[in-house]
Amino acid sequence: MNEAAYAPPSGLQAAKPAAGPIAELRNVSKRFGEVLAADGLNLSIEAGEFLSFLGPSGCGKTTALRMLAGFEAPSSGDVLLDGEVVNDLEPYRRPVNMVFQHYALFPHLTVAQNIGYGLRQRRPRPPREEIERKVTNALEIVRLEGFGGRRIWELSGGQQQRVALARAIVNEPKLLLLDEPMAALDRKLRKEMQIELQNIQRRLGITFVLVTHDQEEALSMSDRICIMRDGRIVQTGSPRDLYDRPRNRYVAGFVGSSNFFDGVAAAVSDTETQVRVAGGIMLSGRALAPVTAGQAVTLSVRPEQVRLARTAADGDKAGWDVTVLSRIFLGEHTEYLVKHDGLGEFMVLTPRQAELSDGPFNAGERLVAFWEAESALVLTQD
Amino acid sequence: MTNDTDYISKRKFMEELYRYRRGSVTRRHFLGVTGLGTATAVLAAAVPGLRPRPAFAAGDIGDRVVLATWPNYHDPANFEAFTAATGAAVDVNVFGSNEEMLAKLQAGGSGWDVFVPTNYTITTYVGEGLIEPLDAARMANYDPAAFDARFAGPGNVDGTLYAVSKNWGTTGYAINISKNDNVTPTTWKEFWDMTMDSFSGRTMVHDYQLTTIGNALKYFGYSFNSVDPKELADAEKLLLDAKPHLFAINSDYQPSMRSGDAWMTMCWTGDGKQMNRDMPEIVYVLGKEGGELWSDFYAIPKGAPHLDAAYALIDFMLTPEVNAKEALFHGYPVADSRVNALLPAEVLNDPILYPAAELLDALEFGAAATLTDPNRAELLARFKSA
Amino acid sequence: MTQRSRNFLLLAPAGAWFLVMLVIPLTVVLIFSFGERGAAGGYVPAFTLEQYANLPARWAAFKNTLILAPAGTLASLLIAYPLAYYLAVRADPRWKTALLVLVIVPFWTSILIRSYAWIFLLGGRGIPALLAAIGIEDVRLINTPFAVLIGIVYGYLPLMVFPIFVNLDRLDKRLLEASSDLGASPWRTFLQVTLPMSLPGIATGCLLVFILLMGEFLIPAILGGGKVFFVGNALVDLFLQSRNWAYGSAVAATLVILMLVSVTAYMRLIRRLGAQREDVALM
Repeated sequence: MNEAAYAPPSGLQAAKPAAGPIAELRNVSKRFGEVLAADGLNLSIEAGEFLSFLGPSGCGKTTALRMLAGFEAPSSGDVLLDGEVVNDLEPYRRPVNMVFQHYALFPHLTVAQNIGYGLRQRRPRPPREEIERKVTNALEIVRLEGFGGRRIWELSGGQQQRVALARAIVNEPKLLLLDEPMAALDRKLRKEMQIELQNIQRRLGITFVLVTHDQEEALSMSDRICIMRDGRIVQTGSPRDLYDRPRNRYVAGFVGSSNFFDGVAAAVSDTETQVRVAGGIMLSGRALAPVTAGQAVTLSVRPEQVRLARTAADGDKAGWDVTVLSRIFLGEHTEYLVKHDGLGEFMVLTPRQAELSDGPFNAGERLVAFWEAESALVLTQD
Repeated sequence: MTNDTDYISKRKFMEELYRYRRGSVTRRHFLGVTGLGTATAVLAAAVPGLRPRPAFAAGDIGDRVVLATWPNYHDPANFEAFTAATGAAVDVNVFGSNEEMLAKLQAGGSGWDVFVPTNYTITTYVGEGLIEPLDAARMANYDPAAFDARFAGPGNVDGTLYAVSKNWGTTGYAINISKNDNVTPTTWKEFWDMTMDSFSGRTMVHDYQLTTIGNALKYFGYSFNSVDPKELADAEKLLLDAKPHLFAINSDYQPSMRSGDAWMTMCWTGDGKQMNRDMPEIVYVLGKEGGELWSDFYAIPKGAPHLDAAYALIDFMLTPEVNAKEALFHGYPVADSRVNALLPAEVLNDPILYPAAELLDALEFGAAATLTDPNRAELLARFKSA
Repeated sequence: MTQRSRNFLLLAPAGAWFLVMLVIPLTVVLIFSFGERGAAGGYVPAFTLEQYANLPARWAAFKNTLILAPAGTLASLLIAYPLAYYLAVRADPRWKTALLVLVIVPFWTSILIRSYAWIFLLGGRGIPALLAAIGIEDVRLINTPFAVLIGIVYGYLPLMVFPIFVNLDRLDKRLLEASSDLGASPWRTFLQVTLPMSLPGIATGCLLVFILLMGEFLIPAILGGGKVFFVGNALVDLFLQSRNWAYGSAVAATLVILMLVSVTAYMRLIRRLGAQREDVALM
């Protein structure tokens, strides 16, 4: 990567990416009239990582991205790039590029002209041959060799997506922002692009910040995920972290799927917390954060942690008598919806391997369901 | 001026018309408030009248008669009276030039019953077969002996009566003498010399070849009607020399004269009278060298759809009492001695309307050949595009 | 009903209109232009090229028109573009409609009445009087080429504003963000994105104004005091004053041909400017 080709404002150029976080949000809030779109965001983005903002629409993830890009200035707090406060720095002065949700490609320019657009804005303007070389290189990276002379409207959605990506990465930005880049692609294409994006990110070493509402996308691509709700960051961590150690019920619901049993913490010990759920049934689980007796909590059990059997084989552990309501064959797994008289309905995901001995079970069959107490998490409800 | 611009009643229209005639409003205001289309519609609808005239009640002449004439050239009360007497509503079409009238008749299908041509066009209409010979027997109020032959003469072509005299007038110039140390010039030579000197940028000439070229010819003492190439060349040189000094080439000169933007303009009798009435510092001058004398006529186009109504209308307008009311309304002189006998002395003694004999004698009628001369048309085009 | 007969029905009214209002009159004009003037004016059938041979006599009118039409178009564009830009991009959306209506308001009255209003504004008691009040004496505005230009810009402004406004209003604002994101300053974004993207609107507006200006006669007559003479004025005089229909037809035919040539050249230029852009190529 040719760092010298940049002409960013003073300070940004000299800083080495490895020295510290490449971008930082420090207690950043953004207010649009009555609406608080971002509320006290704190986050530092490390050089070279792939970070995703994940949350439903309206959670503030796009606002966070736009503040990094410079399209919005924070109402309070600081946005830092390479250690320098850039709150009011115009977008065109930031070494940051964005892949827009609907690509925002220039319809009056060719593919090559679109990709070279950012290079042509630099002062001093790079020589023509250099621009051409970089554009060709970018086209290769996104596997669109030979498409340079095409018009934007001649391309498919997937191809346009690649052009948008090439237009951004050709500038070798410090930070590449991606705003729901795959929302408009069909499922198969999306899968392919996800893999390709990851490959490109690894190859180029550019820091990627992705905004998405698709948990699968976030989980499969990101080094870290920042889960947002109502303008706040709920939890930031690696996908495995978030899956295994969700901070609360919201995170657990957003990352993977889970069975939730709402109740009140009854007995609390270091290793185990007893939760009284509907119908007075006591369930035990492991609390990740301190819980006090009497607190409203939710017990979360992942469907794949539940086992089903025709008879209670493991004598020392009490199972739950359930009835099979439905069965969905998913290939490697089978998904069952079962019902317990006191606990209600919950999901079970059974690996094909397990079914060889004891399954498959049929709708209406009466079974026993088990899970290990340590695989059940006691979560706060905030 | 008025807040009633979107709808104008019949009464309101008449009020505005009278105010305009009295000169208390400009033509611009008049057009803005009424609109020319409105004028036609309102006049046509002016059906009810109060004084039925049994003389015209006899015979059915139909319910309408179409008149092509000049702006502000009739007393609407007379049309109302005509309608009341005969049952025929007068549908008025207003025109800006004889050429437009001629073009419309040449194109055919005008639908007119009566029109008002100027003297120099009548032979053309006869030559083109566009005009109906008049049967004097059908106009009880037409008395050839009462008319001044100087003005009524052009209505006869080769011994046949084609048109009867309506009004006459002159073409001179109006000057705001407050801009000239209250000195009133007397010649066309002064008109052109002042234009290129002390009145530079303040003079207007007609957008009309007959008068603009004719009055340039008068600078050299040539005939107003000259088509002589050498004389026209002299006139062209004068016009081209004067052009940079002109305020405008436009026949609608009253607004600019009244606002003070223009100080001097070629001018027709009626406009001169109106401006002088409101602004005494604007005087009307007939050049000593001569200039134009003109006369308007009533005539019937060939193929008039309501021939009976056409005769009835002309006959009605020739009634001395009616014609006197017309003259008092629009202020143009009449050639009919019976009418003059009914007019007040101050009108007959007005030097603008009835100029001194020696001034009048120097004037010439425009000739048909002058108007249709292609060289003069080209000269004007060169002048305007220079 | 077949597709073919449906198409025929769809096109019939426009086709008939085109035939009656355009093809027939143009044919008549063409036939007349080879004829002769009658002794009392009008037209006499003949076949002569005399009328065309006389065209140089109206050279000044053609020259004035060929200067005024592009100049007037350019002046309208320079004033209309910022206005359209403001309306489409900057104006508060709540007021947009109201502001747009204000732009059309002048169209509610006839150009004649509006031009008369300008006679007063530009006349001695109007703007020159205001200028005199602040010490700038003896400014003459009315009956000058400048007054004609003002009248033209004023009269044709909405025709120029609207296509550009529609174009800019539909412009995807994300493209402007993308440009800024890629390092282009606002001015460069305007030059490289906004302006080229609004080219179709500019092209349409210029074409409308240019074509109308080629035949303009009213504004020069009223605000130019008859001293500024265009082909339109020459035609009015030829048909209504000297009634030389044959010559008038030759002048009119030449004007139409000039218009066709310049519009074709203009379309070529626009197409080349827009290269193979879909939106422009469609024009």
